[in-house]
Amino acid sequence: MTSDETRGDDPGMREIELLREEAEAALAGAGSSADLEEARVNLLGRKGRLTALLQGIKDLPPDKKRMVGMQANLLKDWLEKALEERGEELRRRELDAELRAEKVDVTLPGRHLPFGTRHLVSAIIEEIEDIFIGMGYRVAEGPEVELDYYNFEALNTPHWHPSKSLQDTFYVDASASGREDVLLRTHTSPVQIRVMEATTPPLYVIAPGKAYRHDVPDATHSPMFHQVEGLAVDEGITLGDLKGTLEHFARRMFGEDRAVRFRPHFFPFTEPSAEVDVSCVICGGEGCRVCKGTGWLEILGAGMVDPNVFGYVGYDTEKFSGFAFGMGVERIAMLKYGIPDIRYLFDNDLRFLAQF
Amino acid sequence: MRVSLEWLKDYVDIDLDPQELAERLTMAGTAVEGVERLGGGLEGLLVGRVLEVRPHPDADRLSVCKVDFGGQGVEIVCGAPNVRPGMLAPVAPPGVRLPDGSAIGEVTIRGVSSHGMLLSERELGISDEAAGIMELEGDLEPGASLARALEIEDTVLVLEITPNRPDCLCMLGIAREVSALTGAPLRKPSFVLREIDPPAAEDVLVEILDPDLCSRYCARLIEGLTIGASPWWMRRRLRAAGVRPINNVVDITNYVMLELGQPLHAFDYELVTDGHIIVRRASAGERMVTLDGVERALSTDELLICDPKGPVALAGVMGGEHTEINAGTTRVLLESAHFDPANIMRTSRTLGLSSEASYRFERGVDPSGCARAADRAAFLMDELAGGKVRRGVVDARAREISSSRLTLRVERAARFIGIPLREQDARAILESLELKVKESRCGEQGTVLEVEVPTFRPDLEREIDLVEEIARIYGYDRVPSTLPSSAHKVGMLTPGQKCRREAARVLAGLGLSEAVTVSFISERWLDRLDPSRAVFPEDPVRLRNPLSEDGAVLRPSLLPGLLEALRFNVNRRLSDVSLFEMGRAFLPLAGEAQPREPLLVACAMTGNWVPKQWDGAAQPVDFFTVKGVLERLAAALHVPGLTLVREELPFLHPSQSCRVRVGEASAGYLGLLHPRVCDEVDLPRNTAVMEIEFAPLEEAREEPYYREVPRHPALHMDLAVVVGEEVDAEELEEAIREAGGELLYEVRLFDLYRGEQLGEGKKSLAFNLVFCAMDRTLTDEEARKYFDRIVKALGAGFGARLRA
Ligand SMILES: [Zn+2]
Repeated sequence: MTSDETRGDDPGMREIELLREEAEAALAGAGSSADLEEARVNLLGRKGRLTALLQGIKDLPPDKKRMVGMQANLLKDWLEKALEERGEELRRRELDAELRAEKVDVTLPGRHLPFGTRHLVSAIIEEIEDIFIGMGYRVAEGPEVELDYYNFEALNTPHWHPSKSLQDTFYVDASASGREDVLLRTHTSPVQIRVMEATTPPLYVIAPGKAYRHDVPDATHSPMFHQVEGLAVDEGITLGDLKGTLEHFARRMFGEDRAVRFRPHFFPFTEPSAEVDVSCVICGGEGCRVCKGTGWLEILGAGMVDPNVFGYVGYDTEKFSGFAFGMGVERIAMLKYGIPDIRYLFDNDLRFLAQF
Repeated sequence: MRVSLEWLKDYVDIDLDPQELAERLTMAGTAVEGVERLGGGLEGLLVGRVLEVRPHPDADRLSVCKVDFGGQGVEIVCGAPNVRPGMLAPVAPPGVRLPDGSAIGEVTIRGVSSHGMLLSERELGISDEAAGIMELEGDLEPGASLARALEIEDTVLVLEITPNRPDCLCMLGIAREVSALTGAPLRKPSFVLREIDPPAAEDVLVEILDPDLCSRYCARLIEGLTIGASPWWMRRRLRAAGVRPINNVVDITNYVMLELGQPLHAFDYELVTDGHIIVRRASAGERMVTLDGVERALSTDELLICDPKGPVALAGVMGGEHTEINAGTTRVLLESAHFDPANIMRTSRTLGLSSEASYRFERGVDPSGCARAADRAAFLMDELAGGKVRRGVVDARAREISSSRLTLRVERAARFIGIPLREQDARAILESLELKVKESRCGEQGTVLEVEVPTFRPDLEREIDLVEEIARIYGYDRVPSTLPSSAHKVGMLTPGQKCRREAARVLAGLGLSEAVTVSFISERWLDRLDPSRAVFPEDPVRLRNPLSEDGAVLRPSLLPGLLEALRFNVNRRLSDVSLFEMGRAFLPLAGEAQPREPLLVACAMTGNWVPKQWDGAAQPVDFFTVKGVLERLAAALHVPGLTLVREELPFLHPSQSCRVRVGEASAGYLGLLHPRVCDEVDLPRNTAVMEIEFAPLEEAREEPYYREVPRHPALHMDLAVVVGEEVDAEELEEAIREAGGELLYEVRLFDLYRGEQLGEGKKSLAFNLVFCAMDRTLTDEEARKYFDRIVKALGAGFGARLRA
């Protein structure tokens, strides 16, 4: 007996065959999960046709029971699996359609989240601090209202020096304490003296902060500005150490390919003294308007601490030597970021602040 | 200092091109600020000889000249009064351009054609002289190039001389530097002075009454002079140096000053009473008229050169008008003196009067150079002005200033600079600068050189000064770069410094931008914010010499600066502004010279905290925005003990004004800016501010310590209670925490509601409570027990009832 014969002849088997064809058509025709559910209920629901067929098997004669039962169960297994697969496919399609309907304009601006910026001057001071901390320096501070002694005298500035005049230095009214030697520090160098008075060598410090000069504001002058001072005192410190230290700094600050040069200069509180130039950040040394055609930009004043200064703080000049340097933060900011006017740094215009 | 290379080459041979020389000088401490080329624009101009001069047939003031400039003579019409046959003059042939760019063509002037132009110095662009055509001197060929004939092509180095190097304020000093740098020998000017009898001392007397201010005064007497113009070469060199030629005698004094560095002054001898020079301090109220025609009132601080009748010069600064050299001068009393630098600086500053002479004296002139400079000038007056030099220098010496001796330890210098240095290297460098090594010995500390320092180097006073010279001439660029080798270096920030950095980062992260404002403010700000000075000091720290009244007070608070910055932005239509600043304020301390300088952090916010967005409303700044900022800051810095206490401050909205406390101490304030202040300074009403001092904040920081995180499920319960308006949220929260005990893990206020059904003067506050235990899962019953306890406590404490 072939299976064809059994199927073809037997009414039970024929019904199974019909049901399968119908189910295949219903599955293929179901366009949505809802259609598919309807088909499932029709076939496998409580009153479904396959359910009814399965329930009818028990009433068949024993010889048919096995064959029809087996085929009906096979059909059921197939159908459940097919429903599952088709359902999965339909759900995927439906989800996809749903998601496509949730279209947004992705070019709309992102949600506003608060954002603020550090001031460029603070950012540069931090950058400088970090470079020197990496070289073993600590950060020192000192008062902005200073005494003549710390700002001038102990820094070996002669008492008749023109920078002490009322045209160059802001003096603070301290008449209540009966003094005339109170001023706004004209550089951060007095911190050197204060640090040396309070500590014994070896010492490696930098001192960032505000300084003041009696200048009418213009594009390159501001009565208030920021400096970073540096001081190293130890046994056996050399002029070569000063060179090496500042070269390292200049390359970290302005770029590894910068050339650095040291020109002899004069400052009252260092000897020998130097001005330090880096190759122009704009033209790279070819010469341009910013570097006045020289290819160099002056960024630092430096030198070996003058023995007279050590004398004021009671350091043994035979045992210790040291170097000191100072730089203008605004100048570095202006050079590095091409800012044409120092006053822009203190306007606090949000459109300026947000750029850095 | 302007240095003509053509001139400089009189004293030292120079093989380098100007740029290379500039570079070498710069790298040895004499910074070259500019390199100027002179004599441009004379291309095509020629030397001409005037052959004939006849009057113009049709114009009285003009003449028609036949001029030879390399060919047969051509006719040129000329208006200059000084034109005469035989003279040599610059001529511009047709088709050439003058230095000012104008072109010369063939023109017809009143019927006579002119084939070129005879030129004045002004037309050549070399001086302001325009009264006549320039007369050329010497044996010049008509038709020769004018530029070559005038030797006008020159390069000028513009040098920045540092204040410690007065010796470099002259040609010879610069030549000495060049010689030291290149090894080319230095050639000092040499000359043989002819003198006539009787000796000058018979007609000149010098007395120094104030020897502290004048160590030496040399005078010479020169007779038979004819005042006139200096020769062209001298005028050219003076101009290249930036000095205006005047007449031969005055030019010679300036020329020698530029050459040797010694300022000189020439008096008309006939106008100096009795030829008697008295050097003395001015008496109080004494007056004199200086060369510039200004009458000056003097004090006893000023040094004068006088004759028996009164002042003839302001010593070292400027001569007197009365004894000035004039066209009729034939006898000159020449002054070459040494004055005290500090006194000259003082005088120059007090009187607001400076000159080439005072500039040099205040930096320090070689006290040994007086006589030599007087001789040199006398020689030139003989050569160039027909002078006869009377025998001898009348030399009044009040004090002897002699050369000094220094020792240099060679090995120590080498170590200090960080270079290998042999004795002969050190010696060579010192000697190239005319320092004499008198002796060399070997001591405990190695080789020691005894060095004699000439008087023209007053800056060399100590061993270190010699070390600097060695380093400078050796070349900083040849010193190897090293790093300090010490092991005693630990780079770090203090906890306080770290905390400040953290604070700035937190504030920026919260959307505030950092501002930096100027430390001096107008006192008006304090009057505006705090008229009765309840908060700010009554007597703030003031400047004695402010730039203006707007910046006469050192800020006792960062607030004025920040409000200015807000206004700056608001005025530019940037309406949403949130700024912070960290900086020092200045508070007077009774009896102290220096004020207290607390480090403050301040915030000022206005407009919207979150701006209106495409799908959301704006969130305007209010009291709670700035309070939120403070709470975030305190949390980030781990400052748990920070509280706000109601207190009315004069510049804050009276009901939204708080004192910020750390523990029991005040650390600052926070609130909404008083509407009165907002209106006065043109800021929107919703401007919120806070300002706190950093030190108490830093002190109150607590290192975070692990607090157990619940591992068992927590129970979340909401509690909404109705209380009277007078009850503070904070009080309720504290009562909840207390009653909730340790099972209450967290309390958060999430709703505030007012409405009719609650009744007049009532509000509802809703809290989310989180209960949990660390060792077990809490049951509802347990949590409910505590919840009920809380409700009871709130009822008893505040009359709170549960909201239905
Ligand atoms: Zn450049």
